Amino acid sequence: MIINTVILSWVTFIYFLSAIFYTLKMVTGRNFPGIIATYISLFGLIVQTIALILRWIESYRLGIGHAPLSNLYESLIFFAWVIVLLYLIIEWRIKSRNLGAFIIPFAFISMAYASFSPDVKSRIQPLIPALQSNWLISHVITSFLGYAAFTIAFGLALMYFLKGREKSTSPGFFFKMLPGKDILDELSYQSIVMGFIFLTLGIITGSVWAYSAWGSYWSWDPKETWSLITWLIYATILHSRFVRGWRGRRMAIMSIIGFASVLFTYFGVNYLPGLHSYF
Amino acid sequence: MLSKIKTFFISFFSSLKLTIVLLLIIAIASILGTVIPQGTGIGSLGKLSPGALKTFKFFQLFDVYHSIWFLMLMALLSLNLIVCSLKNAPAAWKRFSIIPSPDRSRPFENLPSDRILTIKRGKDQVISSIENFLLKKYKRVKKKESDEITFLYGEKGAFSHFGVYIIHASILVIIAGVIVGSLMGFEGVMNIPEGESTNAAHLRRHSEVKKFDFTVKCNTFSIEYYSNGMPKEYRSNLSFIKNNKVAFQGPLLVNHPITFQDIRFYQANYGQIPGGKAHIAVTKDNEQPNILTAVREDSFHFKEENATITIKKIEKDFMNMGPAVLIAAQTPDVKVNFWVFKNIKRLQSVIPGLFEKFPKFNPGRFKPFNFTLNEIEDMYYTGIQLSHDPGVPIVAAGSFIIIFGIFITFFSSHRKIWIRVQDMEDKIKISVAGTSSKDPVALQREIGYILKNIKNELGEA
Repeated sequence: MIINTVILSWVTFIYFLSAIFYTLKMVTGRNFPGIIATYISLFGLIVQTIALILRWIESYRLGIGHAPLSNLYESLIFFAWVIVLLYLIIEWRIKSRNLGAFIIPFAFISMAYASFSPDVKSRIQPLIPALQSNWLISHVITSFLGYAAFTIAFGLALMYFLKGREKSTSPGFFFKMLPGKDILDELSYQSIVMGFIFLTLGIITGSVWAYSAWGSYWSWDPKETWSLITWLIYATILHSRFVRGWRGRRMAIMSIIGFASVLFTYFGVNYLPGLHSYF
Repeated sequence: MLSKIKTFFISFFSSLKLTIVLLLIIAIASILGTVIPQGTGIGSLGKLSPGALKTFKFFQLFDVYHSIWFLMLMALLSLNLIVCSLKNAPAAWKRFSIIPSPDRSRPFENLPSDRILTIKRGKDQVISSIENFLLKKYKRVKKKESDEITFLYGEKGAFSHFGVYIIHASILVIIAGVIVGSLMGFEGVMNIPEGESTNAAHLRRHSEVKKFDFTVKCNTFSIEYYSNGMPKEYRSNLSFIKNNKVAFQGPLLVNHPITFQDIRFYQANYGQIPGGKAHIAVTKDNEQPNILTAVREDSFHFKEENATITIKKIEKDFMNMGPAVLIAAQTPDVKVNFWVFKNIKRLQSVIPGLFEKFPKFNPGRFKPFNFTLNEIEDMYYTGIQLSHDPGVPIVAAGSFIIIFGIFITFFSSHRKIWIRVQDMEDKIKISVAGTSSKDPVALQREIGYILKNIKNELGEA
């Protein structure tokens, strides 16, 4: 094993630890575990960034230099990285550590899948001709920023449902720690907007790339098609909110449907024949 | 009656319900297209009963994205977008263009106390300072003065009312580009063996063959591999020949298409033709051998002897005697055909007197030359995809506009600011109120900023 994959498998545990401390913060209602959780995630993010840079350098040492964004393993690692990055930005902006317990676990799951699944090859592979393009980086970054934002919206939707189970007469301690429904709704809306913007950019950069690699800006390849389906679902969500004023529970349900579509766009299409076979 | 129909038409096609239903149906249709093998994949559905197959074909389920009903959905969505936009645009224009009067009292109702400022300054100084600030930071600044109360008004981001229309228009632009592309463009493939050329392509639609007024020649095709065996590069060296002249020559690589006469050529795939290429050594007297690499029907001319040889056949295994090529050689006087075997030594030892029995198997039959077959190689053909799509610039423009529209829609808001300056005997009371088309949090932040600015400007805490 090469050093960067070893470090990255440690990062998996760092995020696991961070998720535990965020949960502790939520269950106990004390600030201290939350502060620890923040520092652990920040530490994890820094270590992961270093590992990614090492991996990038290593690929050059192997004579096949390319950004570490070129196969399923690298995409899962990057997915986790973006989730933690976005989460820490949100935490800093809203000055609350109550969301971590529902968002950091996704980074942990992604890292764990990448590091420990026998189906995911962690070796640095050279770029096949179709991937040798300057559009690789911008396409992957925009797409995964979109995926990560939708994942955060999904975590918020789960919190919304949990909050909905709160008994108004004697709310348990745990429920008290959950942010208010209005805040969850607003944050989830903002995450969806963010995801929608990056998904749009991801689709556009992808079609620019396809125009120079596959002979057409749009080939109805399953991944392309599913990204469009995801886009249509989130477009529907935004319209129902803007025009119909849908809020709260309905938004949360639609956010979960949208996330299912994101997951299928990311993983599901691997089971369908298509051109995106390298992810 | 007519107006009734018109009203119904407008209310039906401008409804958001229709939009949502259409978006969801298009999403479901797209899912169908990814689950049912499209186009060439029909074969894998052999399990379908004949009746089901007929139904699938009737509904064009093997080509969902080009089916009539899918196009109808797109047309309905476009109509929906157009009618909805036209219906709501006047209201948006109103919101954009109307400037509210500066002396409104409603914005100031229930104003929180942290938005009111009292300072001891001259009224005129305060007003001119605020006015300057508004003129610098806001548009359409208005002022209404009276003895006791002066109102000032400024706004920004009025353009944000158009964001949604820009997005919708850009989607129509993209759809228009797709239509232009499918009506005026074409997509096709051409497979060219190394050394050969073609002036025709098989079009994707209707399995037509399209002829061009130029010829594409594949000079060579090569594959480079990484040390772990993964492909590194596919490269076709192409010449585009027009009127017997090479108009363009260059390598075609994946991700690096060649554009020739508005047609884009892509390296799409490749294949092998078994035993397509022969390496032949020609020796004359005791000179150094001359190595020729030839495909079928290649000819070589030898000036000195005024001789021409043509490779007529390349066989990987001719009559169970191993690799061989058939050469036709001629000078103005002689004309001979003969086979050149790779394993000639072994054949000679197995069949004594081979050349006497079969003069056609003598590689030295064409004097003064002697031929040796070094190797027969598999030959490649390059698979080139080509497309002509005049809709691309339109789609690209639509994509730019949609990004622009999204940014306006989500990141700008129409903020209106009212400032009331009241003369209260020994001091001045300043109240700041505002409205925003969205994002009330940012509005609050902005009002805070304005108050801070006024304080700083007038030097009073």
